[in-house]
Amino acid sequence: MRWLVLAVVGALVAGCTAATPADPQTLRVLAGSELADLGPVLDEAAAATGVRVRLDPVGTLDGAEQVASGAAQKDHDAIWFSSNRYLSLLPDAAPRLGAGVDIASSPVVLGLRRSVAQRLGWVGRPVSWSEIASAAGDGRFTYGMTDPSASNTGFSTVVAVATALVGSGSALTVGQAASTAPGMRAFFSAQTLSAGSSGFLQDAWTRRATGADPGPPVDGLVNYESVLLGMNASGTLPEPLELIYPSDGVVTADYPFTVLAGVPDPLRDAARRLTDHLRTPDVQRRIMELTHRRPAVPGVPKAPELGGATLVELPFPAQADVVDTLLTSWFDRIRRPSRTIYVLDTSGSMQEEDRIGRLRGALAGLAGADPSLTGRFRRFRAREQVTLLPFSDGPRAPQTFTVAENDPGPVRQQIADAGTVLAPGGQTAIYDSVRRAYELAGQQIAADPDRFTSIVLMTDGANTVGSDAAAFRAFADARPAAVRGVPVFCVLFGDGVNAEIDDIARETGGRTFDARTTSLAEVFKDIRGYV
Amino acid sequence: MPRMAARSGRRVLSWVLALVLLGVLGVVVFRDRIGVTAPPTVVTGVIGSEKVAFFADPRVREVFRANGLDVRVDPAGSRQIATTVQLANYDFAFPSSSPAADKLLAAHPAARTYAPFSSPMAVATFTPIVDLLTRAGVVATGTPTFDVQAYLALASKGTRWDQLAGNTAFPARKNVLLSTTAPCDSNSGAMYLAITSYVANKDAVVGDAAAAGAVLSQVRPLFRDQGYLPATTDVLFEDYLSSGMGRVPMALVYEQQYLAEQLSADPALAPDARMLYPRPTLYSRHTLVPLTPAGDRVGELLTGDADLTGLEAQLGFRPTDPRAFTDAVRAKGVPAPPALVDVIEPPSFAVLEALLAGLGCPR
Repeated sequence: MRWLVLAVVGALVAGCTAATPADPQTLRVLAGSELADLGPVLDEAAAATGVRVRLDPVGTLDGAEQVASGAAQKDHDAIWFSSNRYLSLLPDAAPRLGAGVDIASSPVVLGLRRSVAQRLGWVGRPVSWSEIASAAGDGRFTYGMTDPSASNTGFSTVVAVATALVGSGSALTVGQAASTAPGMRAFFSAQTLSAGSSGFLQDAWTRRATGADPGPPVDGLVNYESVLLGMNASGTLPEPLELIYPSDGVVTADYPFTVLAGVPDPLRDAARRLTDHLRTPDVQRRIMELTHRRPAVPGVPKAPELGGATLVELPFPAQADVVDTLLTSWFDRIRRPSRTIYVLDTSGSMQEEDRIGRLRGALAGLAGADPSLTGRFRRFRAREQVTLLPFSDGPRAPQTFTVAENDPGPVRQQIADAGTVLAPGGQTAIYDSVRRAYELAGQQIAADPDRFTSIVLMTDGANTVGSDAAAFRAFADARPAAVRGVPVFCVLFGDGVNAEIDDIARETGGRTFDARTTSLAEVFKDIRGYV
Repeated sequence: MPRMAARSGRRVLSWVLALVLLGVLGVVVFRDRIGVTAPPTVVTGVIGSEKVAFFADPRVREVFRANGLDVRVDPAGSRQIATTVQLANYDFAFPSSSPAADKLLAAHPAARTYAPFSSPMAVATFTPIVDLLTRAGVVATGTPTFDVQAYLALASKGTRWDQLAGNTAFPARKNVLLSTTAPCDSNSGAMYLAITSYVANKDAVVGDAAAAGAVLSQVRPLFRDQGYLPATTDVLFEDYLSSGMGRVPMALVYEQQYLAEQLSADPALAPDARMLYPRPTLYSRHTLVPLTPAGDRVGELLTGDADLTGLEAQLGFRPTDPRAFTDAVRAKGVPAPPALVDVIEPPSFAVLEALLAGLGCPR
């Protein structure tokens, strides 16, 4: 009898121990920014498994660079991007990856305002990429897309369109990747909105659709099926999006959770418990309902909203030189070239902490001095138009450069040289200078309309001279139609505290970047994804 | 007050400690009474990824535990097991093919190896694809035979699905290509290389580096044209199951993977899923190389324990004793797999390495 009592107590204590999750462990994960929508699922996973996840958002190519350089291993245990396909092509990155465990998937497709899809006759029947490209080339619709060097959706689109329009039915070759076939130019000529991340693209597109942003509305956007379905479900769109799944194929994100090589066993174990949990049928359903992503685990039925038809997956090139050639060709020859007016603060305070030197260095980086992976794709591209507009007491004389299509080196050098003679002195006339930039943009658009036009404002302080915020707002509200869609991307630099500067970005459809915590060179590179 | 609180806190603590002590005693007494023995010996192995589900199966773990073993496994590619994996930490290595095991054995001589089960290579596909392949002469009418030579002839011309005559079922603008894993990382990809190089070598196993060089131009496009390839057969088969015909119209997998699905309580196979067998085909002979006496014990049990061989068969493998396999298939009412006659052997490890190097695999 006595042993029985003891046994019961023992069983109770043992039961308590077993029911308490193992010591909470935290996995530090370098992740695609769009995965933030899994927050509730990850909280539930932490409660169920004791494994916590800290997601550090990063763009596709930035993330690849951090893995390849070994920087990711220093402060992260795992990576979780839309796909490991590009990473596995980098000789320095592939050996740093463990086996990925797919968690969910989502194809990259075209979302169009329903009325536009109906006008084009694309509802309820298969539509091929060549049909889409031909309508785009005829100017029958416009769309937004992310920068392929910054975000996976843009990258997947370039791969899909090239494979479908130029490819022979197998993975692209180097020769095909360099193609400037008319269909390629036609499709990408209809892009009127660019962004450095899927999230910003979604926001910017929605603000234009609802009129919250002064730029003209855009007919569609290329994004994950999950994002487009989420936009429809949000109830904020004036008109729902029709999802177009090109009949000749798509590129799908498969979200492999991937532990980095060399991670200690207990964390590896924690990752396994986490992925086992995320792959249980109930959690797979939950992910599908919450985020509109497709289940990775066989046997979990797909929700009806997920396109039920056979979705052809296009072959993804497995050679690094093919991908490099494709991106280089897209930036230098295919895309609508960009035009950027850099409004650069050269007031007296730029002398402090060698800010002027850092500005010169950042410009030199964009001109080609930065040999990193991101640096290679974010430098000034062939055909691009760059205007430097330094300012202090007022806007100074602008200098405009157009990078040559076939020999970009010399003009890039001229831009870097123009940076080296910038000299600090005087006050800070922010509003007069941005206004001047809009005047220049107007003239340049009139002379050469078919470009993406944006303004970048870099300042280390508040406005001290010339017209004020109210005067600028009056100007901005009344600015001519041709420049209404021109956003201002603002860069906060030095120790400048300037709450008003964010207003400029918000009111013009741009965004603000902080170069007080990140290096100016990195911020200048980031902005390149938006212009 | 604070002092009182502290004292009552201490009293609670001592009660808790007493209870815990009682509990531990209770567990010990309880264990002795019901005859549970000492904790099982932990045995670790490094294995091909397609066997992870087998070792994770609760019934399999239970049989090992009843024999005093707690078997823990890490997955790795068979080629990695034979070359780069640090084997000092393991009791056994269990690659998926005999060439990899032979290579291992050269560096880690063992008194004996174990080949408890095998599985032939198979093509997982769908009825509309079988119909198209039948019309194209790759599948003989009414048979599950996938003629590799006819397939190579079709693929070498870069034929697309939408170019097949009368194809309305799957008019994809995509080459007719068997989906495989990356041969550098995965055994099934390397076995595909063994089969296709045999056919390209005029129906003879590639015997040396010179012959390997001669067939490379024919086999290289079969991988390159697919583009990015999954690293493991698990991932490839999962893509086949969850994404279906658009992504993976036909995939080279192990018969075991398809059968395991058919034999499971809740199969995830599509209603129009079909399995074909390449002709010629080869058996992936899962070969266990023991590195310690505990590893030997695992090999012995996998080969000789009737409960384990039964479970091997229920999970789709073909154990050495064919009866277990026949029983498992019959018990579930799954049609008996056909007798495979045109079975070839893979090339030696060195020749396979030469072929892989020719495909650009890092050494």
